[in-house]
Amino acid sequence: MTICVTGIGIISSIGVGRQATLDSLLTGRCNIAPIAHFKTIHSDLVSAEVVQSNEQLIELLGGGLKEPLTRTALLGMVALDQAYKEARVEEQRPQRVAFVSGTTVGGMDKSEQFYLDFLNNDSKNQYIASHDCGRCSEMIADYCGHFDIITTISTACSSAANAVIFGANLLKTGRTDMAIVGGSECITKFHLNGFNTLRILDKEPCRPFDASRAGLNLGEGAAYLVLESEASALKRGVEPLCKLSGYANFCDAHHQTASSEDGEGAFLAMSGALQNSGLQPEDIDYINAHGTGTVNNDLSEGIAISRLFSKRGIPPVSSTKSFTGHTTSASGSIEAVISILSIQHGFIPANLRFRNKIEELSFVPSSDIGLKVDVNNVLTNSFGFGGNDTTLIFSKYKKE
Amino acid sequence: MEKYNLLRKILINYTDNIMEQLILELKKQIIEVLNLEDVKPEDIDSQAPLFGEGLGLDSIDALELIVLMEKNYGIKLSDPAQGKEIFKSVETMAEYIEANRKK
Amino acid sequence: MMEIKAYSRITADKMVVNGSTVYSSSDGENINLTDLYRHLGIDYPKFFKMDNLCKAGFLGAETIIRDAGMDTVTPKKDCDIVLFNSTSSLDDDIAYNNTIEDDANYFPSPSVFVYTLANIVTGEIAIRNKIMGESSFYVLKEFSSSIIYSVVKETAQETSANAVLCGWADFLNNTPDVLLMLLQRTDDGKIQFTAENINKLYR
Repeated sequence: MTICVTGIGIISSIGVGRQATLDSLLTGRCNIAPIAHFKTIHSDLVSAEVVQSNEQLIELLGGGLKEPLTRTALLGMVALDQAYKEARVEEQRPQRVAFVSGTTVGGMDKSEQFYLDFLNNDSKNQYIASHDCGRCSEMIADYCGHFDIITTISTACSSAANAVIFGANLLKTGRTDMAIVGGSECITKFHLNGFNTLRILDKEPCRPFDASRAGLNLGEGAAYLVLESEASALKRGVEPLCKLSGYANFCDAHHQTASSEDGEGAFLAMSGALQNSGLQPEDIDYINAHGTGTVNNDLSEGIAISRLFSKRGIPPVSSTKSFTGHTTSASGSIEAVISILSIQHGFIPANLRFRNKIEELSFVPSSDIGLKVDVNNVLTNSFGFGGNDTTLIFSKYKKE
Repeated sequence: MEKYNLLRKILINYTDNIMEQLILELKKQIIEVLNLEDVKPEDIDSQAPLFGEGLGLDSIDALELIVLMEKNYGIKLSDPAQGKEIFKSVETMAEYIEANRKK
Repeated sequence: MMEIKAYSRITADKMVVNGSTVYSSSDGENINLTDLYRHLGIDYPKFFKMDNLCKAGFLGAETIIRDAGMDTVTPKKDCDIVLFNSTSSLDDDIAYNNTIEDDANYFPSPSVFVYTLANIVTGEIAIRNKIMGESSFYVLKEFSSSIIYSVVKETAQETSANAVLCGWADFLNNTPDVLLMLLQRTDDGKIQFTAENINKLYR
């Protein structure tokens, strides 16, 4: 079965929707600054927040939404709505539609705000139910309409990428006719403090693949992709944006949060995805790396990339977390959408703020902003804590 | 001269005792905070490397030691890289704490 | 054909492996995971760093993986891990929250934060046994043998795995609720991997 992407939706710190995102990528514009949407003692940390407040997100969604509403759910609704409309799901509805969404924090932004209320009075109890990850996916799904299957993947930073795999499997096994897949996550005090205690946050805007890199910047956002078979897309009269040509998930089996020295998990995920797609390393025109900007990840992933691609030449590599920050559970789909934009518009998204090569690596990331190049096949990585490593490959769609 | 030497001996004895006590206290705290369930204070060699061989601690353990320093001794380490020297052994840790403690 | 080569069940009061009770807690008390660890004679100091969910999942996996003859050294790229529960990492989330909820005694714990993700339990089992195949973790509303069966079956098919460690791993309120199964492609007539059999082993 040829799996096609027929709709995409995205919201992140670099814009709402595909055009704003594309404009930012082509001009090098990003929004990494101190936290604005909630009070925190960490005024020295920078993050890539979505510009809109919750009230503004509600306005974007047409207003009139009923509480309880959480930021992760609102971000998800904005992105899902775009993908749903682009793929014309409502007008040309397939028989069965599944929704697979990845998140880790769910409605935590409200839970941490109202925690003491939960303990001391009943005034905010409606936010207890909306805390749940599964409930979050349901809220996002309900905004657009009826889904036959709604499910949630929670594997940390590979969640959204794994949601893509899960959706593809649902299609391949005939369990659904369309799968809308991706993830959503907002920044919360819980994981801002958590990542901070792990000492992997950079106080400056991050510098992935740079010798002086000092950590990641947290980001937030959501993105969804509409997946269906080529036959289904043709039947519904919808033009595919690209194909999902391969994917794989493997485990690094090394440490709870750090990656192995030789990047074995990443190597297995990338080679597995290539094998799954039938492509060779030399067919890849662009690698959208996981590239968090931590000392550990970029070295480990860089080594894995060298191991797999050196023989026939390493293609352009960049980490777009230099634009969007690390959007954790949503990163797999946000970066998938960016990869799809690179195919559609023929350019390599830049790796911002790169200055000096990492000594142990043989390559440097692509830092030219808006570099125009024909892009046929993109490989994108998402690695989650627990050694959960996922690679997706998207390819230009050519009608046979 | 004799009185001076005696005083000196008493002072050195006193500081050695304080250091000994701190080292024992530290060992107990390390065992508790790092969940080293099967390890007793007497099993830990004060001069042996904490990381690599020795107790075989990892990067997350290093972070917990940084929290321990702040929580129990009021010492804030802004740069985790400082940890490499300070956490070489229990003895180097104790020496650093004694010199910089605020609690 | 996937068959259940071995299975383990840990509940509030006992651990059962392949149908035989290997450990029971003292009267009226809930099972203590550290006592269970010692009783099973495992030597793995990293166990003590884990949160309760990981400890429970680890113990559930340990006996059945060892019994199946799998070692802790050889990389196993053709073995997948697929786990499910309904409370995600809530037990550890509460523990982590305890380290940050008091402004006057505010010390977020990195080692506790690490476990505020449900899928770390798949990571811990993978690290111990060098299992490098596909790993995933699903949070369901409640135990469902039919969902577990279909997701695991499809994962195994898609990845052409030769072995799958799968099942339910939950822990909350001092109570483990674990059913782990080691599936292998064998034909020695043991327990077939079906939704009905999963249900039987769970109840």
